[in-house]
Amino acid sequence: MTATDPSRALPIDPSVAPPGTRNFRDAGGIPADRWHADQNEETLVPTHCCFCGVQCGMYLRVDRAGKVFGVEPRNHDINRMRLCPKGINAYQQVNHPDRLTSPLMRRNRDEPFREVSWEEALDHTVAEIRRIQGEYGNDAFGLLGGASLYSEKTYLVGKFARVALKSKHVDYNGRLCMVSAAGANKLAFGIDRAGNPFSDILLTDCLLIAGSNVGECFPVMTQYLWGARDRGATLIVVDPRQTAVARTADVHVALKPGTDSAFFNAVLHVIVAEGLTDEAYLAAHTTGWDEVRATVAEYPPSRSASICGVPEEQIVQVARMFAGAGRAMAWHARGVEHHSQGVENCLTIINLCTATGNIGRPGAGYGTITGQGNGQGGREHGQKSDLLPGGRSISDPEHRRQICEIWGIEESELPAAGTSMMEMVWQMQRAEIRGLIGICNNPFVSLPNYATVKEGYDTLQFHAQFDFFLSETAANAHVVFPVTVWAEDEGVMANAEARVVKHNKAQEPPAGVRTDTWVMCELARRLGAGDKFAFPDSRAVFEELRIASAGTVNDYYGITYERLEETGGIAWPCPTTDHPGTPRLFEDGRTYHPDGKIHMQVVEWHPPMDPYSEEYPLSLTTGRTVAHFLSGNQTRRLGALVEQTPRPWVEVHPSHGFRNGDPVRVVTRRGSEVFPALVTEAIRPDTVFVPYHWPVPTAANALTVDALDPRSKIPEYKVCAARIEAAERVDEVPAPPTAPGQLAYPETQVSRTDPLPPTSPQGRGTAERS
Amino acid sequence: MMGRTIFIDPGRCIGCQACVSACRECDSHRGKSMIHLDYPDEGHSVASLPTVCMHCEDPVAPCAEVCPADAILVTADGVVQQADTTRCIGCANCVNACPFGVPKIDLQAKLQMKCNLCYDRTAYGLAPMCATVCPTGALFYGTLDELRAERPGVQVADSFTFGDVVVHTGVAMVVPADKVQWPVPGGLPVVEINGRDVR
Amino acid sequence: MTEPPQTAEPTPAPDSPAQGAVQAPAPQTPAAVRRRAVLAGTAVSALLILAIVLGSRLLRDFDSALLPYAVATVFLAFGVAHRYTVWVSAPGARRLFRQGWRSFFSAANFRKAPTALPKMIATYLGFQKFLGARSHARWAAHQLLFWGCVLAALITFPLTWGWFTFTSDTGDGPGYEMRIWGFKILGFDALSVLGWLMFHGLDIAAVLVIAGASYFLWRRMKDRGAITGQRFAYDLIPLIALIVISVTGLLLTFSSIFLHGGGYEFLAILHMVSVVFTLIYIPFGKFFHIVQRPAAVGMQLFKYTSRRKDEELRTCRRCHEPIDTPDYVENLRGTMKDLKLDFDEWAEYCPRCKRVLRGNAYLTHVKKGFK
Repeated sequence: MTATDPSRALPIDPSVAPPGTRNFRDAGGIPADRWHADQNEETLVPTHCCFCGVQCGMYLRVDRAGKVFGVEPRNHDINRMRLCPKGINAYQQVNHPDRLTSPLMRRNRDEPFREVSWEEALDHTVAEIRRIQGEYGNDAFGLLGGASLYSEKTYLVGKFARVALKSKHVDYNGRLCMVSAAGANKLAFGIDRAGNPFSDILLTDCLLIAGSNVGECFPVMTQYLWGARDRGATLIVVDPRQTAVARTADVHVALKPGTDSAFFNAVLHVIVAEGLTDEAYLAAHTTGWDEVRATVAEYPPSRSASICGVPEEQIVQVARMFAGAGRAMAWHARGVEHHSQGVENCLTIINLCTATGNIGRPGAGYGTITGQGNGQGGREHGQKSDLLPGGRSISDPEHRRQICEIWGIEESELPAAGTSMMEMVWQMQRAEIRGLIGICNNPFVSLPNYATVKEGYDTLQFHAQFDFFLSETAANAHVVFPVTVWAEDEGVMANAEARVVKHNKAQEPPAGVRTDTWVMCELARRLGAGDKFAFPDSRAVFEELRIASAGTVNDYYGITYERLEETGGIAWPCPTTDHPGTPRLFEDGRTYHPDGKIHMQVVEWHPPMDPYSEEYPLSLTTGRTVAHFLSGNQTRRLGALVEQTPRPWVEVHPSHGFRNGDPVRVVTRRGSEVFPALVTEAIRPDTVFVPYHWPVPTAANALTVDALDPRSKIPEYKVCAARIEAAERVDEVPAPPTAPGQLAYPETQVSRTDPLPPTSPQGRGTAERS
Repeated sequence: MMGRTIFIDPGRCIGCQACVSACRECDSHRGKSMIHLDYPDEGHSVASLPTVCMHCEDPVAPCAEVCPADAILVTADGVVQQADTTRCIGCANCVNACPFGVPKIDLQAKLQMKCNLCYDRTAYGLAPMCATVCPTGALFYGTLDELRAERPGVQVADSFTFGDVVVHTGVAMVVPADKVQWPVPGGLPVVEINGRDVR
Repeated sequence: MTEPPQTAEPTPAPDSPAQGAVQAPAPQTPAAVRRRAVLAGTAVSALLILAIVLGSRLLRDFDSALLPYAVATVFLAFGVAHRYTVWVSAPGARRLFRQGWRSFFSAANFRKAPTALPKMIATYLGFQKFLGARSHARWAAHQLLFWGCVLAALITFPLTWGWFTFTSDTGDGPGYEMRIWGFKILGFDALSVLGWLMFHGLDIAAVLVIAGASYFLWRRMKDRGAITGQRFAYDLIPLIALIVISVTGLLLTFSSIFLHGGGYEFLAILHMVSVVFTLIYIPFGKFFHIVQRPAAVGMQLFKYTSRRKDEELRTCRRCHEPIDTPDYVENLRGTMKDLKLDFDEWAEYCPRCKRVLRGNAYLTHVKKGFK
């Protein structure tokens, strides 16, 4: 046989099989041979998912060696055994090869990281804090927290900034997420949380979902939507894209991004015009109705229909459906909140619920769906620039006095209110903030206008970051502290219902890894505040948090670890240890304002901050996909999720003439990037969509605008002006960063360079993975 | 007829692929997902369709019938098991004969694998992994009565047409009340009559 | 176990373009199949008896102590031939059986790729590479089992049939001659390494088998994948039988060397019973895969041959992705027609398109949305 013999080319095993039948490469990156389905002596640790604000219960499977190796559904009443793909794969983070297990350090950003001892990393960090604060004042050093931390840790972030760093510059990544709803809630109700529990959804007659891709961002919450429909409820979805829940909704309002308040004002206009308001309720429980009524009179359906790009009849239909229902309910998320009038958008929805009397009853109410696991709890206890524990205001002298007493410091020592996360980045650019510690966030992917963010961080003289995987932001830092994943420590989170749930420790952290609590306490000790940070564990922090929140609106005093384990979760306010918690607010018709009334607010629509022009005629909107979470630092390393959705894409309407998979350049005033086109009729022709979980050069946030809501300071992620054009080739997704000498676990990264868009926004079909 | 089985409702499916990930966690085939999730309306809508083995009852399991190695066992409870590892020769007959497009094949291992209704879980009274985690109830495991308790008045169908052939299955699909008398179309386009291409 | 039903009537031949399409099979009723199977079983057993008689030089070399073993092999031959005949009479197997042999006898095939078949036999039957893809540990254990059994069979079958003899001129060694069918093959010294190997071949085989079978037994106790759907008679009995045979065999050696034959007779009976049981069990249980496995080579050779013949693979009618070779697809369609699975043209769509078309049909004809 010669080398040219064709049989050489044909292997003796020439079998073929049709696409999608022949491989199992989506095994989560862990070869099948290494799975040992050994059923003896495994323990199930009850806990909750680390990801979104639904906080599904789950069991982690722990083997004899004490290592987490799997997940088992848990019949917790939030999720009733249901889990989404992120939750199912979450456990794979715990013993992931990409984990950081040693502090990393370098003197300047040109050097590579080297692994150093904890002593060296902590000492260097403290020396830098001292140097910067000595030279430029205490406020020159900032702290940024995160809302995926346990509430205990978020409490510590706030206390660490004020008591150990003595800096006013502290904020957290919930600023990019939930603050618009928080602002609206405070204005209208004097309390910042959803009014009703998820279970009320099952009792409603009409459900309005505004700006929330529930099916992808809160998949397990979908069961409540469907449960309501099984019982006869109608479903209205307001979203520029036809998402999975919008697809089958009774009404899908595909409005133009950034026009929400015009739409809801018009809906209220019709309700008023058709006499569908609940005047008795309005008279008894509200203030400001006359002004609101006068304002919405200016928004007839004809006007709003042209602003929003929806049919007039649809506005009327929604108004009749919502106001005509016996019990109606509205839930919203980032789609209405991520705007330069995010607070106002939320207020128009509150106005709608209030005007129809749908507040504080079973099946009738209002809520916001928090994005991060502890999106609710993370904003309550003082890591927000203007808040102190218990939702107290840092500008209120009485609140300041109370907290100083609890913390044992002089009131003069307590800094004033700081600035928001995006503003802090601008201050870094201007060298007003020269040093920064980041805990549990990844602004290089999650903040808008990447160029500005990069410049701001590069200007810092010192930057330390806490994380368990090396995030894109951490990879740009001077010091990186390797900390625990959620399953290696205990603590509480509050989900979207403001239900406080307990996460349990399933395994010991790997050698070299410490809890965030330990690191913050060690830094505080070295900064001379050790006596205020003598916390051996989360429980000790929680005990102080209970006391610090006692008597406030956000009252946790009656919540203990033991009670949480017994009950499966308690909704605050819970003032005493025999109080059942408060799943539903306003049942007595009173809000948390001193007058007990709902303060209705006037809202005037204004166009988005990034103006459209001939050059930039389209709206770019951004969002999530079901397989990934926020900045993707966690999910882009899990093989199963990478296989489901390996890369970002740009969703475009067929009218632009592109074919599926064509490289399309998306251009905004901030920059341009090339994505493969996912051509679908499920998006408005004047709008394009890019998911934001990936870093540059495939980052949606290199394109978004850093315009802020004046009240909540939330960036306008959901709309900016853009154009699209044909390009040569798509930009490739970079590998997730790893510690020096390591590669991102290759088996999880196989599909990352796939140049094609997914089959559908939810990911690649199982047969498209060959 | 229908006992405890899976009921599929594509109308509720949000295409999140939780089932795909959950299937991989099942101990009897850890690391390998058997379920299929397709987006049949690609380019038009985000509609999705999960496919588990339908456990054909009449004709009994076409996959087992075309198997040259008698490798596919149908247990007394009507569950069509995956190929017996000692017998399967990896010919892919079942892969291409299955009217629902269910079996998968590992060409290197010369082994067919398919959904076995999570036999390791259902044999102990647990629901299969996919139906346990499905966030929407698009995959529901239980009896028809249990399904109706959750979804009042729901109707299901357990027969499918492929051309002139009607296949009755162990797994059923949710259908509207007015369609319950009719078999669910299996999707086979009419392109051939008596072996002649009529496209 | 659901045996594929037999077709009772002839099915019309497909008049599709006959690219290697097989002719419609001859009609066969279950009764006809049974008759043929009994015939085949009887013929093969008779041939084996004849071979024993002739091979043992008209029973001169036949060791009457091994008679029960020899009888068991005759039953084995009947059982295997019977079961095999029934098996290859089912439509799926019959068509593949024919295609496999057709490829085997293809002169063109032999000329162009003379090494293909030996390579396939080595990889699929000898080294069982495919098992390595399932699990390395299972591959290693199966190799131990396989080679142990092969070694044992090569030694014991000819011995029980009286085909091998070991004779010594001096009566009891150490110089021995090994003869097959009366012809001297080699002479050796019982005290040499070769001699030790000749006399302890079965002990080596037993050690290999015990190691392999113990692993599988352990796995069947521990591994949830293996436990799923596990049946005692089908999955555990064969392993236990192999271990009993091997252990009693080793104990026989132990008894004769260290116990001066103590308990030898009891062990011998136990050993014999377990062997006879196993041999008779082969056609009916898990061990039938030994007989079936060559079909994997037949299948592979068929696909290989048709792949060489046709450059183009048959592609899905909808998405045009390859499905398999045209011969294979025609063969499958033939099988489906034999079985009255009259949706055989569906085999020309890939599984993904089948699902997508069904999903589309559901959206169009059943319901588009939630209700």
